Amino acid sequence: MMTQLLEQPTKLSTAIGINVDRADARDKLAGSAEYTGDLHPPSMLFGAVLRSQYAHAEIESVDTSGAEAMDGVIAVLTGDDLMDLDPYYGHALRDRPIIAMGKVRFVGEPVAVVAAKSQAIAEAALSAIDVSYRVLPIAATLDRALAPGAPLVHEGPVRPGLAHGLGKLPEREGNICYRYGFSVGDMEAVFSRAAVVVDGEYVFPAVYQYSMETHTTVAHHRGREITIWSSCQHPFLVRQEISELFEVPLDDVRVIVPYLGGGFGSKSYTKMEPLAVAISRKAGLPVRIMNRVDESMVTTRRHNMKCRMRTAASAEGQLLGRVVEMWLDTGAYADNGPRVTATAGDAGPGPYRWEAVDVKAQCVYTNTSPAGSYRAFGATHLQWIGESQVDEVARRLGLDRVEIRRANLLARGGQVRPGAKGLDADLVGDVEEVAAALDWSAPRPSNRGVGLSVGLLAAGAHPVSMATVRLGADGGVTVLVGTTELGQGARTVMGQIAAEVLGLPPSRIVVRGTDTSYTPYDRSTGASRSTTVAGKAVEEAAAQVLEELIETAETTLGVARDELVVSEGRISGGGTAVTYEELIERRFGLKGGELIGQGHVGPRGGSGGFADGPVFWEVCVGGAEVEVEPETGVVTVLRISTVADVGRAINPLLVRRQDEGAVLQGIGNALFEEMRFSDEGLLLNDTLLDYRIPSFEDLPASMSCTIVENQDGPGPFGAKGCGEGAFAAMPAAIVNALADAGVQMTELPLTPERVWKKIQSQQGISKNHSTEEVDQ
Amino acid sequence: MKLPPFEVHRPSSLHNASRLLRDMGSEAVPINGGTELLLAMKLGLAQYAHLVDLKRIPELRGVRRVGSGLAVGAGMTHRELESSRSIAEAVAEMPRMLAEIANVRVRSVGTIGGNLCFADPHSDPATFLSAIEATLVLGDGSTSRRVPVDEFFLGAYETKLEPGELLVEVTVPAVPTGTGAAHVRMKVHERPTVTVAAKVMVERDTIVRARLVVGSVCGTPVLPQAIDKLIGAPRAAWSERVREVAALSAAAVAPVADAEGSSRYKQALVEVFVRRALDAALSNAQGMTR
Ligand SMILES: Cc1cc2nc3c(=O)[nH]c(=O)nc-3n(C[C@H](O)[C@H](O)[C@H](O)COP(=O)(O)OP(=O)(O)OC[C@H]3O[C@@H](n4cnc5c(N)ncnc54)[C@H](O)[C@@H]3O)c2cc1C
Repeated sequence: MMTQLLEQPTKLSTAIGINVDRADARDKLAGSAEYTGDLHPPSMLFGAVLRSQYAHAEIESVDTSGAEAMDGVIAVLTGDDLMDLDPYYGHALRDRPIIAMGKVRFVGEPVAVVAAKSQAIAEAALSAIDVSYRVLPIAATLDRALAPGAPLVHEGPVRPGLAHGLGKLPEREGNICYRYGFSVGDMEAVFSRAAVVVDGEYVFPAVYQYSMETHTTVAHHRGREITIWSSCQHPFLVRQEISELFEVPLDDVRVIVPYLGGGFGSKSYTKMEPLAVAISRKAGLPVRIMNRVDESMVTTRRHNMKCRMRTAASAEGQLLGRVVEMWLDTGAYADNGPRVTATAGDAGPGPYRWEAVDVKAQCVYTNTSPAGSYRAFGATHLQWIGESQVDEVARRLGLDRVEIRRANLLARGGQVRPGAKGLDADLVGDVEEVAAALDWSAPRPSNRGVGLSVGLLAAGAHPVSMATVRLGADGGVTVLVGTTELGQGARTVMGQIAAEVLGLPPSRIVVRGTDTSYTPYDRSTGASRSTTVAGKAVEEAAAQVLEELIETAETTLGVARDELVVSEGRISGGGTAVTYEELIERRFGLKGGELIGQGHVGPRGGSGGFADGPVFWEVCVGGAEVEVEPETGVVTVLRISTVADVGRAINPLLVRRQDEGAVLQGIGNALFEEMRFSDEGLLLNDTLLDYRIPSFEDLPASMSCTIVENQDGPGPFGAKGCGEGAFAAMPAAIVNALADAGVQMTELPLTPERVWKKIQSQQGISKNHSTEEVDQ
Repeated sequence: MKLPPFEVHRPSSLHNASRLLRDMGSEAVPINGGTELLLAMKLGLAQYAHLVDLKRIPELRGVRRVGSGLAVGAGMTHRELESSRSIAEAVAEMPRMLAEIANVRVRSVGTIGGNLCFADPHSDPATFLSAIEATLVLGDGSTSRRVPVDEFFLGAYETKLEPGELLVEVTVPAVPTGTGAAHVRMKVHERPTVTVAAKVMVERDTIVRARLVVGSVCGTPVLPQAIDKLIGAPRAAWSERVREVAALSAAAVAPVADAEGSSRYKQALVEVFVRRALDAALSNAQGMTR
């Protein structure tokens, strides 16, 4: 192969497009993979957190003397210890104290932390802490928080967070945390012309991301330096937030990220790190805080939501206009609520050619645990609603549901949102793939139905990533990139990208976990961005190394670059071949030295088509076939089909696994999962016994994932990200399939009882049933 | 949600286990697989300083033939029983019932005795064993007594066991030809939302005996009176009578509303599952699906 590989890297496929074994598989299967909870720096203390049992209360006093007097207790932290700091943080809004400062706003909010010589002592000491509360009126539901005269969860001025990106923030207004919206076209005119208007009210549940590993942090605050080992997805944002909170220069905060036992968004941004740093600051020694599952369940969750939507269409089935208003419950603190709300707002219209759209999205504070990111947020909230209305339009007009999409979906290049990048995918093609995989038009028994859904998710977040690739004297490669390996296979894929560029087998590449003291900056691991954005930086860094090798080969072999061939760790030309090891030795004149390449991408400068947001539109498309048992309301998902529109599959098996995982989580969100809070704001189902997540027995009998590779992504080799789209598509596909089987649902999850009640109220299932009235 | 510290005792005879339990009084509790007990302790619902482990007591192990029936050791795990040949031969429905409990991890350590003695209202074995008229042998190594399964439960999490007394074995009568047993259930979360078991005896196309147990919806298994309407029913009337019994049974139970569902929904489920259980039992009696 010729050296034009720099210009045409896709020609050389030794490492991409193949199912390379996961780099972390051996460690994980052997049990030798290290997670934060496995670490034990010298003199580490064990932390335990005293959490509020009230959803809204003033703290009158905290007496820690009993706990402090206990043998083995080293320090007890309360709000009083943070008086020298501005203890509020939050990347979106700076509304959250490290620990309760005179007030608690949800059940589970940290009130005190004990650091002790053993976990048992720390926990025992919690019961020796006396807190006296003055209970305040509670707004634990959206309705209560929005009612006139509702108790206020927050008072005082709104403070922007360090990475809010929300533009100018308005003044505080009741319990509204954030508003988002846009309006295009003449809605009144559109509705007056409409032949069909579908109007409904919808309810979406709070759910928990449920990664196997709970939030775990070990922090060591020693004088001017802070070291943190944490199960976090965004180490660099954590570093920045800790640096500001504790008034320590960025360089003196070191965040180290071992393997994560899953994240799904639950470990994005800053979670337990400030608390761990604060207790370590007081104790003067490293302290570990490792949540129990019930604690992690009140650390973050997905927003519950209520929504009203109206869709207008012409008699011919042209989608004309859509009005949507939604209220997302972000709990007691903003966390990522504003971004989730904006993304939900963006997903409101769906990927169609509208004449008019009007979107109003509100993020609302309540006295419940804070809500943040979860795989495919916003899109999952809205897609099932929008797509069920498209289906309903089709039903009322007697149109085929694939046909109505074919007629109305945006085409490649079409405008998804004013000011954003045009559509970079073939949605009609994707929908047709899904329909074909489901035998769309096959006859079915009356209690079965098929449904599909399509949507878009703005992916990539802020496209700022750096990477370093080091080729050592023995020809082995180390990649330093800030992407967190949370089970998605990031290290494997980054290794494949470097291997492809360098013409080495993937086994020669090692990808390290993040240590912010030497790993170059990466904005975050989320929004399906890593392969596309960080991967691009790795590609560029590897290309730089290759360039240096080629330069050395030119002089060493005395052959011009266009006559050189790069393959399998050697460069040949003029009848001779030299290995990378030899080239390094020639270059430095000793068996040592290394070649280092740097890659960086960003919206400005760097490489890649990242100037217009979003980085790419992730396609959320999928279909389902379901069966409902009318007398019990039990819904069974029989068949699933998804399309992973990934531009280029670096590792096809990992792409499939992403879709499968997303499908299962989507099934959980659609059919079972629901965090139930009492009116007093207490989470009622915080164990797996009563918080039901999908398991292998819930796998559909048939699942198909079609990988579409149009090489139209901005990432390396034409790749774009994946892994979230199928999640957003699933609840929508299942709801639509159930409606096709005769039961139209407007509230998730589709528990047997809820479905049964609906069947009772409509007196049985009927395929042609359509509701004109607004569902309550 | 963290296990408090405790001490484990490992007696190797029934006698010693009982003595340990009596000596330590309310500080101590028996444990077998621990799938219920340890969970309750983790959740802070139960507190014991001493656990008396029953796993090394030979009297609680094994499956013996007794006449045409079986004596099943209380310490046998669901998994062991599910794959026992003698059980499959004596009571064909039983392995199927056992195989539906929880998941393979729980079944591999959870025992039949632990299930019954914990007296969780949501229980498959309690429902099924009541329906097939199993009897429990309770003892302490020196004395023993027999209690029919349906009399064993006093309420949710409450049984007839006296301090120091253990469940030793479950006497399971064989289900003879001409008699059909069936167990049907549904779950929303981990434990069953509703369980219904039935046993019917058919002679010359007429139902001569019938027994029906509705479980998991009330504090203890319930035996609806309406089942008597099946007695004497000729074949032609079965279908209609079964529906009638199902409706009457549903009307007669007063399900407890909880996270598994509202009372009204559970009542509707009872009707559905009584019908299914009786249909299945009748078809089993006819040898159709044996
Ligand atoms: C996730 C999960 C799902 C489940 N799903 C189901 C289901 O679908 N259907 C169902 O029926 N059950 C279900 N169960 C219950 C399960 O069957 C029981 O947990 C199990 O059988 C208990 O047995 P064990 O040996 O673990 O009991 P242990 O926890 O050891 O003991 C339970 C109680 O019984 C007492 N005890 C135990 N053995 C004796 C004895 N011989 N004499 C006197 N007292 C004794 C103990 O003191 C304790 O109070 C589920 C449980 C779990 C955890």
